[in-house]
Amino acid sequence: MPKRVVLFIVLLAVPFSGRGPRANAQESQSRIQVNVVLVQLSVAVTDNKGNYISGLKPEDFAIYEDKIPEKAATFEEGNTPAHEVAHGPLSDDRPFGSTAADTAAELARASNANIFVLFDTSNYMYRGFVYAQDAIADFIRSLEGVGKVALYSYSRDLSRVVTLTPDRSQVLHGLRSTVAGDDAALYNSLLLTVKDAAPLTGRKAIVVFSNGPDNASLVPPEDVAELAQSTGTIIYMISTKAAQSEPISTAVFERMSKATGGKAYFSKDWQDEKKAFESIRDDLGHLYALSYYPQPNPNRGWRTITVKLVGKNLQKYHVRTRTGYRLILTQTTTPQQAPTPAEQSKVEAPQ
Amino acid sequence: MMSCLRPFGFVARTLCGLCVCAFLFSGAPGLASASAAADTTASATPSIPPPRLPGARVMIPGPLRSFLRMAGISQEVQPDEVLPLVARNSYLLGYGENTQTEFLRLLNRYLHQARELQILAGQDNVIHVTDCNSASTLLRVLGYRLRAGCDPQNMYLETTNATRAFLTIDSGFPLTDLEEALQKGQPFTYAYPSTWVPVMFQESDWLSLGPDRKESFGNLVDLMVNDQQISRLYWAISKNDPITAAALDASPGLHRLLPLAATLDFYGNQIEIRDGHVVTPGGAGAEAQWKELVGASPAQPSEFVTRLLARDNGWLAAYYDALAHVPRSQQDHLITDQRLKRLYDAFRSPEAQALATRGVFRRAPDLLVLLTRVQWEPDGSVHVPGGLDAWKEILKQKPAAKLGKDWGVRNRTPDSAEELLEDMVGFSRVETDSGPLQIYLAASEIDSERPADKHISGDTVKLMAGQYAELSRWYMTFAEFPELSDASISAFVKAVDGLDKVSNQALRGNALGAFQADIGIWQILARQGEIPAQKLDASWQAVIGPYAGLTSENQLFDAARNSLNASVEAATGQHSFSEAALVDLLAGPPQQSPEGAQVHDTVAARMRSVMSDQRLVSLDTLFALNDGLAQMASGKPAPEHLLALAGELRDFEMPRQIFTKSEKVDWAPRANTGHHAELQIKTDLTRVIQPAGSKAQIEAARAQLAPLLRDTLVGLNYAYYEPPGAQILHINPLFVRSHDFLGISVVGSERIWQAPTLIGAGVSAGGGGYLMGSLADLPYALASAEQDMIAPEYVQALIWKELVPQLLSDAVVSRWWNVPQDEMHIVALYQKLGEQLLTACAINAHTRERVTAMLSDRLEPRRMSELIAAMQKPDAMAAMLPHMMPEETFYIGTQFEKLYPADVALAGDTGHQIADLIQHNPADVNMERISRDFGIPHPTLAQNSARELLDGKPFPFYGVYSSRLFGESWESGNLYWARLADEMGYSPAMLNRLVPDLTRQLVSKIFATDLEDWPAVLRAMHETGDQLKKSRAGEATAASNAPPAATVQ
Repeated sequence: MPKRVVLFIVLLAVPFSGRGPRANAQESQSRIQVNVVLVQLSVAVTDNKGNYISGLKPEDFAIYEDKIPEKAATFEEGNTPAHEVAHGPLSDDRPFGSTAADTAAELARASNANIFVLFDTSNYMYRGFVYAQDAIADFIRSLEGVGKVALYSYSRDLSRVVTLTPDRSQVLHGLRSTVAGDDAALYNSLLLTVKDAAPLTGRKAIVVFSNGPDNASLVPPEDVAELAQSTGTIIYMISTKAAQSEPISTAVFERMSKATGGKAYFSKDWQDEKKAFESIRDDLGHLYALSYYPQPNPNRGWRTITVKLVGKNLQKYHVRTRTGYRLILTQTTTPQQAPTPAEQSKVEAPQ
Repeated sequence: MMSCLRPFGFVARTLCGLCVCAFLFSGAPGLASASAAADTTASATPSIPPPRLPGARVMIPGPLRSFLRMAGISQEVQPDEVLPLVARNSYLLGYGENTQTEFLRLLNRYLHQARELQILAGQDNVIHVTDCNSASTLLRVLGYRLRAGCDPQNMYLETTNATRAFLTIDSGFPLTDLEEALQKGQPFTYAYPSTWVPVMFQESDWLSLGPDRKESFGNLVDLMVNDQQISRLYWAISKNDPITAAALDASPGLHRLLPLAATLDFYGNQIEIRDGHVVTPGGAGAEAQWKELVGASPAQPSEFVTRLLARDNGWLAAYYDALAHVPRSQQDHLITDQRLKRLYDAFRSPEAQALATRGVFRRAPDLLVLLTRVQWEPDGSVHVPGGLDAWKEILKQKPAAKLGKDWGVRNRTPDSAEELLEDMVGFSRVETDSGPLQIYLAASEIDSERPADKHISGDTVKLMAGQYAELSRWYMTFAEFPELSDASISAFVKAVDGLDKVSNQALRGNALGAFQADIGIWQILARQGEIPAQKLDASWQAVIGPYAGLTSENQLFDAARNSLNASVEAATGQHSFSEAALVDLLAGPPQQSPEGAQVHDTVAARMRSVMSDQRLVSLDTLFALNDGLAQMASGKPAPEHLLALAGELRDFEMPRQIFTKSEKVDWAPRANTGHHAELQIKTDLTRVIQPAGSKAQIEAARAQLAPLLRDTLVGLNYAYYEPPGAQILHINPLFVRSHDFLGISVVGSERIWQAPTLIGAGVSAGGGGYLMGSLADLPYALASAEQDMIAPEYVQALIWKELVPQLLSDAVVSRWWNVPQDEMHIVALYQKLGEQLLTACAINAHTRERVTAMLSDRLEPRRMSELIAAMQKPDAMAAMLPHMMPEETFYIGTQFEKLYPADVALAGDTGHQIADLIQHNPADVNMERISRDFGIPHPTLAQNSARELLDGKPFPFYGVYSSRLFGESWESGNLYWARLADEMGYSPAMLNRLVPDLTRQLVSKIFATDLEDWPAVLRAMHETGDQLKKSRAGEATAASNAPPAATVQ
């Protein structure tokens, strides 16, 4: 066979390019290359009433990838800084030019979450447009412990109104400059937003404000959900009951957010989103951030992630996190060789 | 109002005097000196002063920026463009079924709110809010309130009146600034001036049109947003040149024109009145015929124009407009021997009720195409491809006869070429893309590229006609490659016929895909010159041949492989190759220069990334598996690596499902995604390899490879034509596999060989969008799919579907592997020469005369009058230059060289270089070559996918299948990029990398208002170019500031 197949792991974490999402957006490369292998997980632990359980230690978590036990490399609770738990596995599984210490340290520096607000400004939102704006303004003002916020809007096309910034005023100005109208391409736009979030380190979430229907996307929600899962991006969907009259959107909102470790909210109307905001804030403030270097795994497709709590006392709690990630098989021109573990270190994420 | 337009009459008359007197080129004084001024690529910085003197103005309440947002107008328009665009948007977007749309209702409400805010702003036109307590009135007007009163801890604004609040936001009121000022206890001030914009004629002229109506309006803006017909008339007249507009205002006057507004809008902007005379298409020699057709003399403009617009429900005006767009060389043919009259008799509708202004788009686009492209014999007679007998037969047959009957077209058996042309003109009114006219045009285009002794035969024309509705898109290949003989056409049609007859649906679908993909690969190699011209005909037939008589998937696999081998062998002389080698071959011919080689590698890598992200099985794996299984079927043991290779097929997984199967059935019942991918998942060849299966089992296993081979071959085509900024190709691994070659996604679809259409947009449970139809026109279809993945930089950007796919597909179809540096350089020089000549026009009457004469056949009357006005003063021309299209300056440069070759060398260094290149390297810098390398494809206009630069006026926008005519008019892109690359020191090969990326950036920067907003595209292009130059300059600065490298002692 005059070529070989090399395993490329879909993004797991830290980019070395140093470029923010804006740079990616401007260059609009279809793919970027990220030289790292670190799987990051944002994990929510709650009791039966939905209250967050805090104070857990790294040893309280058991991580499995396709039933293979994994060792946590870094651990972080809520807004506390990340710290290194254990070095990665054998050097064979390390990326070229990087070490566990490199990536864990970089991860530790990026402990604040980055939030992308994606605002539906399509015709579907026309009647509730100004109320939704008010709600988003409240949400932006209320974000605490969040490093940077970006505001994107979409109708048929995505508009990067304000790229990631710590300046809340700038985001609010951007919010009030959005205009309404046109078709709705939610999944196209969500894809582009996930790709902007992909290279970021630390916790990252996309909060979508939408009333639902998508009448223009060509990208299926499945692919967007997979990419979000594979890049460790949490998706929250904030909507109103109006969206629930359309079963397809309801299904996607609930399932996509769940698969990425987020949630979907359907309030009575846009003026009644307080609970949703509190919930998201709580989530971001209480998520445990764990990371691990995958142990050798022959699976070259979708890898299932399971996180469990260790010990009898903890079994009564619920764990919510993303359910897996996908490897991409990439062809190279070098013939006649089986992939080596070292080759697995080259990570390429579709952008 | 005549006063503001009178100076232009003076200018025109003065120019006429100059034209008569200054007929000698006097060494072009000023031309060389002007070259310095035009020595760099035009930049989009200065704006053109509107070609009007200060005159009447009309007041718009509130800031212009807010009004433009609400009126759907680009922020980049000039003040004198505002009212025409308000009129345009009002009539075009403001009404549906005779009621106002939400757009117009919002605009009306905004005007009301703006007037309220103006009252608050007072005489100093500034809104003042000193503190929280004084904000209530303003907030009420804006539709907001303070949530917790003036509590400083919780001083946030929230909506109280959604209608008003929407207007506040949509018009861009600085609400957050107000909120922050209140929170900080600081005063808020906001300048809120009224805006004055120029009005055509006097405001009262327009207001006087309204008294008979139910409402009367005190302001022209209010009138426009409430009266569709007056708006349309305003928009229509604004498209005429100022001299003509003034003449029309004087007589017949606005009142008489009002009922004719629709016709004037669609077909009136070519009407040109000069010195009391209508300048008719075809010139003085055509006036008698026009007089007879219209029923009034061109010397009586008022009567002539009124009758022209009113005659035959607008059809005569449509005919006039088409004639006016046609190049003068064609007009000369069309006016001889009373053709003008005879052709109109054939064209006009016998149906009294049929309006030429029905709908939102101009009618009869094919008339313009026909009149532009009809071919003439050396003796001036009409060319008849295939001979008259063939056409007699074609027109007698049922499809043509029925079409003629349905549309009331005079469909007779033509006894002469002249009668055939008349019949074709009659058919040009029929709304179809597959009638006799289209067949005639396709055959004519094929003949136009062939030598006279190899013209298409009557039998071939009849064969093509029989399948035209199905295969029209594929016939363009025979125009693009004139080396393909009639036998090749016949072989193709027969092969298609054979494939259509394959009874097994799955086999047919796979065969259609593989066949078209193999042809697509041949086309790429042929277009890039990798298959030598002398091998084109034979290799085409070798590519087609293997597909004859298919009855099984195994035969299909062998056919697809042999067909591919034929292309590769014609290109390289080699029989065996790897997929990597094939991708390298498709990426372009090998490059010798380091920069060329690097670009080549980049292009190849881009293709590989698509193949990888689509997770397609490699050709190497498929061929090795096929050969191994064939070996096993003949009783030999399985090759060593066969089992591992079979395992590779199992690597593919479907995306993680969000919907259940039943949900998919309910919510996306006809989606075609997944079928092919599921086949692959089910394919498990390992079972017959170890232990070895029976011969029948092995043959059955081998058959499962054919669909996978189809996907890979199709994927190579997709990868080659990947549009810049593509996302779907990289995120949806089912995109290639889902291509619906059988048309099963749409009930009753019969156009499976036609250009593919997008299916599944907005069908969330359908597994993503995909293409249905053939691979013909694939670049355009992919660009249509991917266009909305480009995020516009401007909030109100209009990225219209009719133009962007054309721009994107042109950027990937065009390749520059075999372009000499001199050729690219002379393309840049011609544009510079054009600019220098224009600059010289402002100081040299003789040059002005020459340039004006050149452009009269190229520019529309209004634009021509703007240019003539700019030619009067150097500073006006300097301001005009950045607004000249590269295709226009290029045209001026090349025409000047063609008409006055001896004078080119007088045009400073630029002229010297041009003359030198032409003298020493004619093979590399001739126009035929430049047209081929830097033109664009014109599939709709010329039924040919080959690149070409066409002379002529830009096409107006038409609807439906002719909408692409408009996009095909934009020929400035490649010319501009070439100049940019030349001036920045890049090699032509670098264009292969630069052009797709720059085009994507251009698209993201378009900030347009209406469909024909070419200036917006030009602005975006200049902005993109300037950005590239800046980034290059930044790199150079960074490099110069870098610390010196260590020196080895």
